[in-house]
Amino acid sequence: MTIRSSRVSREGYLAEYGAQQGNSWPLHALRFTGFLLVTALSLGGAHAGAPSLADRVIEHKLANGLTVLMVERHQTPVVSINITFAVGGINEQVGQTGIAHFYEHMAFKGTRTVGTKDYEKEQPILDELALVGTELDHRQRELAIKSGGGTADEQAAVASLQKRFTELQAQASHYVVGNELALLYQRHGGVGFNASTGKDLTRYTISLPANRLPLWAAVEADRMAHPVFREFYKERGVVMEERRLRNDDSPSGLLFETFTSAAFRAHGYGVPTIGWESDILSLTPAETETFFKTYYGPNRATIALVGDFNAKDVIALIEQTFGKIPAAPPSSARMPMEPEQRGERRVEVEFDAEPSLVIGYHKPALGHPDDDVFEVIDAVLSDGRTSRFQQKLVREKRLAASVGSDANHPGVRAPNLFILTATPLAPHTTAELEAAMYEELERLKREPVSPKELERVINNLDADMVRALRSNSGLASQLAMYQALAGDWRYVLTLRDKVAAVTAADVQRVAARYFTKSNRTVGLLVKKSQGKAVAQGGEVAP
Amino acid sequence: MKMVRGKGVGVKKSGMSIVLGMALLLVSAVTACAGGAGLGDPRTMTFAPVEFSPPEPERVVFENGMVVYLLEDHELPLITLTATIRAGSWLDPADKIGLAALTGSVMRTGGGGGLSAEQIDEELEQFAGEVSIGIGRQSGSASLDVLSKDFTRGLQIFAGLIRTPAFDPARVELAKLQAVEGIRRRQDNPGSVVGREFVKMLYGTDHPTAREATIESVRRITRDDLAAFHRASLHPNGMILGVTGDFKKSDMLASLRGAFGDWAKGAVPQLTIADVSEGDTTTPVIRFVDKDTTQTHLRVGHLSIKENDADYVPVAIANDILGGSSFRSRLFNDVRTKRGLAYSVGSRLNAGMHDQGVWLMRAETKSVSTQEVIERFIANIERMRSELVSDAELAEAKEAYVNSFIFSFSSPSAIVGRLVELEYDGLPKDFLQQLRDKVVKLTKEDILAAAKKHLHPDRLKIIAVGSGKTMPGALSPFGEVKEIKLQPEG
Repeated sequence: MTIRSSRVSREGYLAEYGAQQGNSWPLHALRFTGFLLVTALSLGGAHAGAPSLADRVIEHKLANGLTVLMVERHQTPVVSINITFAVGGINEQVGQTGIAHFYEHMAFKGTRTVGTKDYEKEQPILDELALVGTELDHRQRELAIKSGGGTADEQAAVASLQKRFTELQAQASHYVVGNELALLYQRHGGVGFNASTGKDLTRYTISLPANRLPLWAAVEADRMAHPVFREFYKERGVVMEERRLRNDDSPSGLLFETFTSAAFRAHGYGVPTIGWESDILSLTPAETETFFKTYYGPNRATIALVGDFNAKDVIALIEQTFGKIPAAPPSSARMPMEPEQRGERRVEVEFDAEPSLVIGYHKPALGHPDDDVFEVIDAVLSDGRTSRFQQKLVREKRLAASVGSDANHPGVRAPNLFILTATPLAPHTTAELEAAMYEELERLKREPVSPKELERVINNLDADMVRALRSNSGLASQLAMYQALAGDWRYVLTLRDKVAAVTAADVQRVAARYFTKSNRTVGLLVKKSQGKAVAQGGEVAP
Repeated sequence: MKMVRGKGVGVKKSGMSIVLGMALLLVSAVTACAGGAGLGDPRTMTFAPVEFSPPEPERVVFENGMVVYLLEDHELPLITLTATIRAGSWLDPADKIGLAALTGSVMRTGGGGGLSAEQIDEELEQFAGEVSIGIGRQSGSASLDVLSKDFTRGLQIFAGLIRTPAFDPARVELAKLQAVEGIRRRQDNPGSVVGREFVKMLYGTDHPTAREATIESVRRITRDDLAAFHRASLHPNGMILGVTGDFKKSDMLASLRGAFGDWAKGAVPQLTIADVSEGDTTTPVIRFVDKDTTQTHLRVGHLSIKENDADYVPVAIANDILGGSSFRSRLFNDVRTKRGLAYSVGSRLNAGMHDQGVWLMRAETKSVSTQEVIERFIANIERMRSELVSDAELAEAKEAYVNSFIFSFSSPSAIVGRLVELEYDGLPKDFLQQLRDKVVKLTKEDILAAAKKHLHPDRLKIIAVGSGKTMPGALSPFGEVKEIKLQPEG
């Protein structure tokens, strides 16, 4: 159950110069939280002689609801920490898409202590800037839809607001200590300082020399309690650049955005995590503050720490710092249920790129018994060189350059999609490839999977569980993720047993139930040429 | 509160003890933890340096010249074996570019050691073993990753693929088709286009660091070519093994000798890559590629020093302050944080040992901001070349480097991997420690001198991939602009 997605990662030397799709840039929006889930499950005890890491997890819950998970590993004096909030794109309201991810960017702007030269003087300027900025956005939107761009008076009012806005931005910048939060961590040897937002979760990471834990606790407790939204309007521009990079100008990004929003017509899973452009450009400080207050309480957070520390000391440290933060009230927001799909949906994206396709079927969420069966189907279809897709579509028929699947797109907490992704091998077409993929799904319904295939699935799952323990940050990530998604990190242990219990008959039943034409959405990337005569290489003056 | 662990790990050996932290900055952390109301201001907290003696791997050389680094690690029942191989695409004949890469690919997929491709994959995946083999531009690499209970069989399979790959003709054919498809798709993403065209501008399209396979060159390659490349290039005396995990050293050495000990020495290829001519290095060039995108993908830079250059540390720290250190860097603060013009922006010194290094700045920004971003790039280089960095910037760069140093040694595989890499590159095993010592001694004047000597605004190669309508106007303030017209692939 490895990462398989249509996101192409370039290899080798060129990636040194060209990489832009990876996770190396700070603060990114994850489109597919599901891919986190399938990156290898942790905490096995299944192998004879393997250390049972399950026994090494120390759990502590604070009175305010904050969950702390710790694993002591004393090989090297370092520690990795993952703070995961059970909040993401699915908590957004219509008209405010992208706010979960945008808040995550704001969380790097500091607090009342860090990131400012003088908060008392800064605060009134930020308050006025928020008011003026919001009013300016509002007036500009109104003018944009009026014929002739509004009256002279209206235009003059906007110009005056714009002038005040620019003045306030300049005044505010006077008090900013740029990126001081990150600078603090870097100075103390921190690496991997980053965050990501998905449909279900928002996650903050850092690794530090282990004796810097008091610094971490002071910074993060402050950030959980008192974030200050600095450089708000500039950051909207940054996020728009992120959107262009990941979605608008990326063939696979745009295909996934279009495909997913076609598959979900009611539920928030259909909205891209990064948000729609017009929403990003209209977000206000007040809305962002409300979002923060509603969803960022300690009662929605899990902190996982793995590394060289004494758990008792860490508990005392966390009680002393995070323990003072009040819990947030329970959220009463409702999310529409996705109605049953009543017929195939097909969408196309035109792009200056070679063709590819993605196919998705609606399926239940985490916790439903059929969900575990999809884990097995996912592995049988596309995990490894012996998988059915590799054997049939890549090697035997030579139809596909690449092919994959994912059992949880674009999230896991709510009913989601089982997806298949593929790129055809020229001269074959997406149509031929699509037909061949359906043939493999039909085979799943027709014939039982072999005992050998089932054994391979569980053997690989067990080995993945051991491998996941190699890295502090990987283990911290897995623990926090399962705690936040399932309400209990031990879910990973039961999942292993549930996957092991899946039978060939289960696979046939689930395939027959869900892999139907009326339940599927198909997205196609179609080549769009620039329609220009192309010279034979070389350089010409413009 | 006692959370400082000063103890070393494993057996302490000669002179490898590392003190992490800077003497000038040390004050006890204990005071920071006192008091009931939180911990106080994190900006003024201070901590003891991290002292850590990483375990030292053993180095053994077999009679046939194969080098082995070993480090036991019994925490998990896993063993990882890597091979670093002196072979690469610098050896490709001019009419068969892609040969080395294809050889590496089919060594993995084409069977070997008397087993068919299908047998190997069936067996490996049934016990969740992982084998990878690849040959890049300046080195090849292979790895075996298995549960320790499966190591003996895993090693047999691995050694079979490395020593006697079968190059199954059907798998050769498939690998060629896949390689052709990769070429057909390499213009799909603007980020791929800009990276590749930039490297070609820097080194020239025929240079071993920049040249690329074409559909024609791949089609010319035969199964016999792969077998011949393998025969000529892969020898035990051109290979460094690194092994970490749950084993006993003596048993492991016996196993590795069993698998590789009777492999005869051969003539290992020389890794020498010619420098680009002085004229081509110093001439500024501005090019764009028309692609239907909303953003401009920018790369701006020039060739630079190698890793063992006497100025490597001051240039690396100058780059760190300019744009190499993410949030902390000037370019990030200027272009992203203050101006909101890019999501990803920064600079990079990419210096190796076998070809000239590259120093570059990069960003992706909406079309209309293209000119402004390039202006900020140039203004920031000029500032690096004309002013001393501030005391704070220098102190922050040093602290970040020294305090994060431990992460270079954070796992047995990282420790062994580092030594293998240094030996492959012909660098001393304490190279990193030497760098760290130089960093600690660095002055603002050193950085200014290095910036003046090694960052050249008058030699910039600029490439922009973006909307052809706006590129000429955005780029022309910086010099003469020409378009690179890409041919469709296939």
